Amino acid sequence: MSLHNRIAVFRAERGISRRQLAEAVEVNNQTIGYLERGDYKPSLELALKIARHFGVAVEMLFSLDRFEPIAMTLKRAGEDE
Amino acid sequence: MNPNHRSILSRLDDAVRWTGFPARVAQKMSETPSVDRKHRPLRWIPILPIALSCALFIFSLTWPPALDGVSPGAIISIVTAFWGSVVGMAPIIHTSGPLGKPSWKDDEREAALRKDSFLFCLWPLAVLNCLGQPILLILSHWQNWQIEHSASVVSLSLMLNASLLGCLPTLYASWKLGRLPKE
Repeated sequence: MSLHNRIAVFRAERGISRRQLAEAVEVNNQTIGYLERGDYKPSLELALKIARHFGVAVEMLFSLDRFEPIAMTLKRAGEDE
Repeated sequence: MNPNHRSILSRLDDAVRWTGFPARVAQKMSETPSVDRKHRPLRWIPILPIALSCALFIFSLTWPPALDGVSPGAIISIVTAFWGSVVGMAPIIHTSGPLGKPSWKDDEREAALRKDSFLFCLWPLAVLNCLGQPILLILSHWQNWQIEHSASVVSLSLMLNASLLGCLPTLYASWKLGRLPKE
């Protein structure tokens, strides 16, 4: 089963480089790259560390289902308001 | 100083730097491992000792008649020399390969990759040994091997085992590591 993530989206939004995120969660620079690409499934500990770094719930970053496009999320949020 | 007229020592220094070992030693000696450390994928070099040890092993099995006149001491010396070179090459490849040294502080992905690589290496080695040993036993009886022939086959099968154990995990991990696009 594949694990989808939005690390790259959050990283781009916050303007954080791979290196900075790697330093914050104490892993290798390459590990962040492989995580973003979906080549590596993180441990629960690493997933929680990354979520804590971004200050969001782990479900916001990782999902077993494909994430919906950001535009759809924003549109739905606008409709709710 | 003209760069074309550098001393042999300076060229040797460059050659050592090219291997990546000085940087790795410096990194290892630093208190905190850098997040920028990269494992160098070695996708082709580990094939060399494996191919060489396979070729020598097959050569020892075929045992050309020309070798019948050679003394056992000479054969053992030649085999030991080859054995030493291949086994010596395997740890070098292993050290500079993606598996790195066990003492390095790996993160969870690197540790998982190392574990996967050794587990992957285990099954071909186990199959090779479990099937190969009885086959060699039958062959030695069937073909009536002499002592020097048996000695060369045994020592070259050891060499094959050592080179597979040293190089196969690096090869597996190198091919598993995809190239990451630059940020």
